[in-house]
This record gives sequence, C-alpha cells and structure tokens, in this order.
Amino acid sequence: MDLKKIFIIYRKEMLDLLRDKRTVITSVVIPIVLYPLIMIGFSSLMIRQETKLEQQFVDIYLQDKSVTEISSRIVDSLQTMDYVNIYYESEDYLELIQQDILHAAITISDTLGATGYELFKITITYNEAKEMSKMAYSKLRNILLEIETGLVGERLSAIQIDEEILDAIEIKADNVAPPEQMLGFIVGKILPYLLIVLTLSGGAVVASDLVAGEKERGTLETILVSAARRIELVIGKYLTIITISLITVFLNLFSMFFSFKHLMTQSGVDTSSVQLPLSNFGLILIAMLPLVTLLAAILLSISTYARNIKEAQSYQMPIIFAGMMLAMISMLPGFELTLGFALLPIINFALLFKNIMMGSFNGLHFAVVVGSTLILDILAIYVSIYLFNKESILFRTAEEDKTLKFWGKEKSNVFTSQFIVIFFVVMLLLLFYIGGSWQSKDLMEGLVKTQIFIILLPTILVLRISKNNLPQVLRLNKTRPSNYLMVLLMAVPALLTAIGIGNVINYFFPVSETYLKSMQELVGLEQKSIWMALLVIGILPGICEETMFRGYIINGFTKNGFWKAIIVSGILFGIFHLDPFRLLPASILGFYLGYLTLKTNSIFPAMLAHFSNNSLAIILGNYADKIPVLKNIFQDDQISIWYSIIALIIFIVLLRSFHKQNRTEELNFE
Amino acid sequence: MIKVDKLSKKFPQKEKDFYAVNELSFTADKGEIVVLLGVNGAGKTTTMRMLSTVLKPSSGTATVEGFDIRNKAQQVRSRLGFLSGDTGLYSRLTPREIITYFARLYDVRDNIIRERIMELSDVLDMGSFLDKKIDLLSTGMKQKVSIARSIIHDPPVMILDEPTAGLDILTARNIVEFIHKCKNQGKCVLFSTHIMREAERIADRIVMIHEGRILAEGSWSDFKKDTGLRDLDDIFIHYVNSTSEEEVSDGS
Repeated sequence: MDLKKIFIIYRKEMLDLLRDKRTVITSVVIPIVLYPLIMIGFSSLMIRQETKLEQQFVDIYLQDKSVTEISSRIVDSLQTMDYVNIYYESEDYLELIQQDILHAAITISDTLGATGYELFKITITYNEAKEMSKMAYSKLRNILLEIETGLVGERLSAIQIDEEILDAIEIKADNVAPPEQMLGFIVGKILPYLLIVLTLSGGAVVASDLVAGEKERGTLETILVSAARRIELVIGKYLTIITISLITVFLNLFSMFFSFKHLMTQSGVDTSSVQLPLSNFGLILIAMLPLVTLLAAILLSISTYARNIKEAQSYQMPIIFAGMMLAMISMLPGFELTLGFALLPIINFALLFKNIMMGSFNGLHFAVVVGSTLILDILAIYVSIYLFNKESILFRTAEEDKTLKFWGKEKSNVFTSQFIVIFFVVMLLLLFYIGGSWQSKDLMEGLVKTQIFIILLPTILVLRISKNNLPQVLRLNKTRPSNYLMVLLMAVPALLTAIGIGNVINYFFPVSETYLKSMQELVGLEQKSIWMALLVIGILPGICEETMFRGYIINGFTKNGFWKAIIVSGILFGIFHLDPFRLLPASILGFYLGYLTLKTNSIFPAMLAHFSNNSLAIILGNYADKIPVLKNIFQDDQISIWYSIIALIIFIVLLRSFHKQNRTEELNFE
Repeated sequence: MIKVDKLSKKFPQKEKDFYAVNELSFTADKGEIVVLLGVNGAGKTTTMRMLSTVLKPSSGTATVEGFDIRNKAQQVRSRLGFLSGDTGLYSRLTPREIITYFARLYDVRDNIIRERIMELSDVLDMGSFLDKKIDLLSTGMKQKVSIARSIIHDPPVMILDEPTAGLDILTARNIVEFIHKCKNQGKCVLFSTHIMREAERIADRIVMIHEGRILAEGSWSDFKKDTGLRDLDDIFIHYVNSTSEEEVSDGS
C-alpha cells in the first residue's frame, strides 16, 4: 500500500466532488443557509406577526345591563384601551362575531354577592377559531382582571384591611439546573439522533457517486487498469466519504447551534450562559470517528455492489432508515447504556452521546463502544476491498436492468429485488407516519386501518396493476390437511421458544420499564373484548401481513434460492415491526413463516401459524396469572429456561417430521 | 510484447459453465499491430480484460513484457496503456487534471508530466481545450483526452478494445493515426474490432476468434490464399463454418 497513491486518489476525489453542485449543496450550502433561514426567518416572522396583531384595532360590542356607578367605571376603563373600537349598538352580535366582523362582545350585569357587595357578571363572547377574536378576548380579560384587583383593593381599604392579607402563599421557581446541563438534556436527546442521521445522509450522496457513479460513467475500468492497487483505490475513496460526512455533520451542528441560539435570543431568553459544551464535543468527536468510518465503509460497499447510482441509492435507503430507527433510541425514555447495548452498533452511539452530553461518562462503556465499532469497521473495510476485487461484482454493469418498467402495458416485473426494496421502504414510511398517527388516535381502529390500507391493499394493488395472476403469485394453493394440524401442534412450542428467546435478549439488553408498559398495553385487553383483540391482532395480521411478506415480497428473492428468500424476507418482516427489540424475534418468526410457505407452496399454513402465534400471545398475556398451569410456567412474565428448552426440542421434532412429510413439494420449487 | 498461452476464462453458469475464452494462444511483438477480430461475444473484451489484469484467467496465462498477468499484476498494469470504446472521463475535471491524475497513479514525476502533456497536446491538437471541463467538450475532443490519458506514462504495450466503436469517421481517424504512431515508436499494439474493413486497414497480423477459440491467424493475404475467396466477410464466414463443421465431425 502506497500512501502517496492514496493521497493522489483522495485529492482527485475531493476535487471532483467539490465541483459537484449536488454534493456542495447538500453538504455545505444547505446546512449553512437552511437553518439560519428557517430559524431566523421563523422567529422574526413570529415577532412581526405578533406586534402586527397587537397594533390592529379590534372591534368590540359593549353592553352594560346594570348601569351602576361601578359598572360605568368599568366601562370607562375599557374605553381607555389602546387599539380598541367600542360599539354600543349592535343587531346580532353573535353572528357578527362568528363572521369575524366583530371580534368580541362584552356584557356586564350585576347581582348581589353573598357578602352583600355587588358581584359583576361579565360575559366575553368571542370566537376561539379567529386570531383577532382570540386576541380581543385576552386583552379584555387582562384589563378586567386589573380592574378587579383595583376594586378589591378599594373594598378592603374601606373596611381598613391591608391588601396584603390576600397573599397567603407566594411561589417562586428556583431552577438549580445550570444552563449547560439544561442544554445537555435537550441536546442529549436530539443530538445523537441528528449526528447519526446527518453522517449517514451526508456520506450517502458522496458514496453513491464514488464507485457506482464511476461504473455508470465508464471511468471505473480506467482506474482498474491503472497502476493503483485496489486497496489504494478503496482507501482513497473511503477517506473521501469520511471527510465529506464529517464536514456535513459539523457544518450542520454549528449552523444549527448558532441559529438555535439566535432564536432564543430573539425570543428573550438569556443565552449568555448557554455555550457549546466544548469539552463534551471533544469526546464526541473521538467517538464520532469510528462511527463515521464504519458508516462510510458500509456505504462504500453498497456503492461498489450497485450497478449504477440509482441502484446504489435504492440500496442505501433501507440502511439509512434502519440507522434512523436505531438512532431514535436516544429519544426514548428510560434507556441506559449497558455493556450489552455497548455492543450494538448505532444504538451504542446514540446512548453514548446522550451520556456524554448529560455529563455521565463511563470510561469502560466508552472503550467498549469504540472498540466494538472499530472491529466492525475493519470488517466493513475488508468487505469493500473484497467486493472491489470481485470480478462478478465490478462488471455487473453489463446485466440487463428491467426494473421500474412498472406502468408498461405488458406484464411487468415487480419481482426484482430492487423494486421490492423500494416498495418495502415506501410501505415502511407509510407505516411509520400514517399508521403511527392512526394508532395514536385510537389504537384498535388504527391497527385495523393500518393492516387493511397500508399492508394489504398496496400489495394487492401492485400485483394487480402489474397484471399478475393473484392466486398464483400469492400461492393460494391447497395443501394437505395434515399440514394445518402440524402447524397448530407447533404453535404452542413455537411461542414458548420465542418467549424464551425474548427473555434471553432482554437479559442482555434490558428494556426500560416505561417501554415495556407501552408494549403491554398493546397485548393487554383493558376494556377491549378478547374477541376484538383476536380479530385485530390475530386474524388481520395473519391475512394482511402474510399477503405482503409471504405472498409478495418473498417472491422477489426466490431466484436467489430457497433459504436466501426465506432469510431476506424474514429480516424485512423483522424490520417492519419498527422496533429494535422485536427485530430478532420477529425475524425468526418471519423465517418460520417463509419456510412454511415455500415448503408447502401455499400461503395458508403461514397464515394459520401467524394467526395462532399472535392469538396465543394474547391469551397468554391475559390469562397467564389466572390459570394454574400457566402460572407454573410463567413467573413474573418470565418463562423458566427449562420450559423453553423443552419447547424448543418439541418444536424441532415436529418441524423435522413436517420437513420430511413435505419433501416432494420442495422439488416443484423453481 | 504480449505472449498469450492457452488462456481461458469460464463463467460459472447454472447448467453448464460458459467459456468466454477457451485456450487462446498468440503473440504480439514490438512494433507490431495485432488485431483481434471477431463478432460480438467472441471473447475479445474478456481476453483484453484478462491481459490488463482486471479479470483473472481460469486457466492458462499470458505475459506482458515478460511479467505474468497472474502474479505480477502491478508490473503488468504499469506497462500497459488501455483504451476502449466505452471508457469514460470525469466530467467535472479538465483534461489536464485527468491526465495528471493518471500520470501520478503511474508514478510519473510532475515535471515530466508537464512536458508530456505539452507534447501530447501538440500531437493530438488539444491546446484549445486543455483547461476546459470535460462536460463542455465534443465527442472527438473527449476521445483525444482518452488517448492522451492511456499513453501519458509512455507504455510499451497498448491494448485497445474496440476504441472506434460508436465514433464518427473523423474521430475514428484520430485513433487510427494514433495507432500508427504507436507502431512507429516501436510499441506493441493489440487492437480489437468486429469491423472487417478496419482490421484489414490497420493490422500487421490478424487473430480471428469465435466463441472463445482461434479460427485463423495471419495476414489478409494469407487468408485470401488459404480460402480462395476475395470478400472479407465471406472469408470470415468461411472460417466460422469450417470450424463448426469440424466440431460436428468430431461429434462434440
């Protein structure tokens, strides 16, 4: 390896990229210009809008029904208000307020209070939906409270009581958190997420250009035949991605910080004591390096594998998305860095950054996080170099690319891995944003809508539009009745094994209590009936999720072989649960369901297995502590390890006999 | 010079391995232009990619200036100039930057690079666009830059894989002139094409290949004598047919 060559390559790549408008805009111009524009623009707009509103005249209808000496004093005070027009006659003020012609109406009437003093009842009629009307209301309310204080004061002094008698408690807020720590708390939650996402997105643009782009433009061959070694090319390009990622990250951070500070100053918060926690930044920078280098190596491998820029970008999408999801852990409450978490890529950084920003720094954790990432890093660079040496990958350009001729007239191919990955990512985004908001409004109704509109319908739609034979593609085939029986027999040991695996995972990566509670709400019935839960969590996913994953997605990978199809579709199924802690259990369930489908060439066994798995989970979740037998197996939601092992053995025995029974049908597999 | 010895490349396929190049042997000497002639898919590009060490041979070997392509890849590459019809250039860089970049990768010293660029700029008439971005250049100009890029390190061996594919007559003529210059400088030139007329015009010697094997080797006059035919296409087809007849009689 020749360092001089690496530097020559690095310098050329940097020069090339800095002349690329796309790179410069995404990694330099946007961070420098965007945040200040958004924040400063937003704040000055806000301030201007507020003063503008305050200086506009509001129209008020005033009606004094009591006409006493004091009520006319109230009316006089109202008349002294700035920017208020008062009208004393109006035909139908209610309608006028609704139309926002009149902004408020005030009606004064008096009764005799219990103490013998006059009690004025003042009704302010206004329209909460209108900006001006709301402002009129708050203006009137404020001045009336002022008048009230004056009147009460007068009454008290008339009977010679000091006004201060009204003050029994005085509350004074004394916040001991120093501003840096406050900032650390806010930033500790959001910053780790931002750092990881920015690194990924900054590097992604560049990485796709560096190898896939060279393939696309036909320049790759010229450097492959040059006197540079492959390892020098890989490292030169790799350093380029790292540089651009770091530039993007730091420009974004600094720009964000100063804009944020500006916004706070504008809104009147004292920011003189708010400073960049520079000592923390040093630590973060050290920790950033292995992360940035790891992500750069992964992005470079993807770019090397892809045939062109477009393909590289479509492969990057799930990686970026997965990175975002893992990084979000810093924003969830109750997760702390443990040695187990320190070994999980991305999650470990999210938690480590959070700790550093909040001032709780643990040297051992730091070393484990950095060390484990460095090991992964070396592996990832090795993969890049390996790919760069592999002929079949470097010359993949020649293959035909027929994806996305989707809307064409003839039966088009929606089963390419590229199309399926795009489809999957779109579905994931829909699930995350739309499904999430549906479910937060009403959990059960949201789940039903999600299953039908986000999971089932788009799948059917894609297959219909591409003119596929639905029963054939979805494998709506009959299979021998004994298979259903086997699936039912396997359901219980399968679930017990899964719970055992879940417990093991939980042992190494403890999940926070708050988080567990929110998960249990999902399975717990509370006021819902068990039949409703069985429908929503048992039957619907059995049909809808199976249609999407075992009906459609798995077909995109069958050309790579029986097991690869099962594994890839299973992992996608795991990711689809949008939960790092269910990734592994759900993926394993996905492998099992994929296996059932391909083995029997029918989707029905998988539907039955999915349904029985989810239903059993609901039943166990609700009756475990009520039925004596179950009580023995479960103690505090934990399954004894022995029961798990027994369940696993039974499951394997049953699965073996299932495997033998269906041997012939595997031969039909394409 | 290039010595090819029973060079083979197979690509694993599901049913039966596919031999893109099958026991190819030939030589190309100093100051000689050898043309690899064959239809698309004959194995020309695969052969040239193996010679330039981008692909590894499945069996057999070849030497370039005495260095074995299997284990002296670095030495082989630094003695090669490689140009093909579909090699590209970095669109955001200028010709001078691109040529300098490659020269540095070939370990040429900076003062020599400057001299060579001026020299090549004169020979190829590139002075007017040496510092313009590639994006702004015409196809002909780009082709000249590609030529300069491939020869900046003054390699003794040139490998040209269908360098005229997709070019108009005027641009293609640049290449032909360039090849003759290389020959005059004593370089060994290996040139591939599927155009019979082009092969006839340039070649000192022709290696006719089909389905990864050599059909015939020699000059056009040799071929004419051998077959008794006059038309180039007829001669080629004659050789293709005669080998497939042999195969049938072999029973393979």
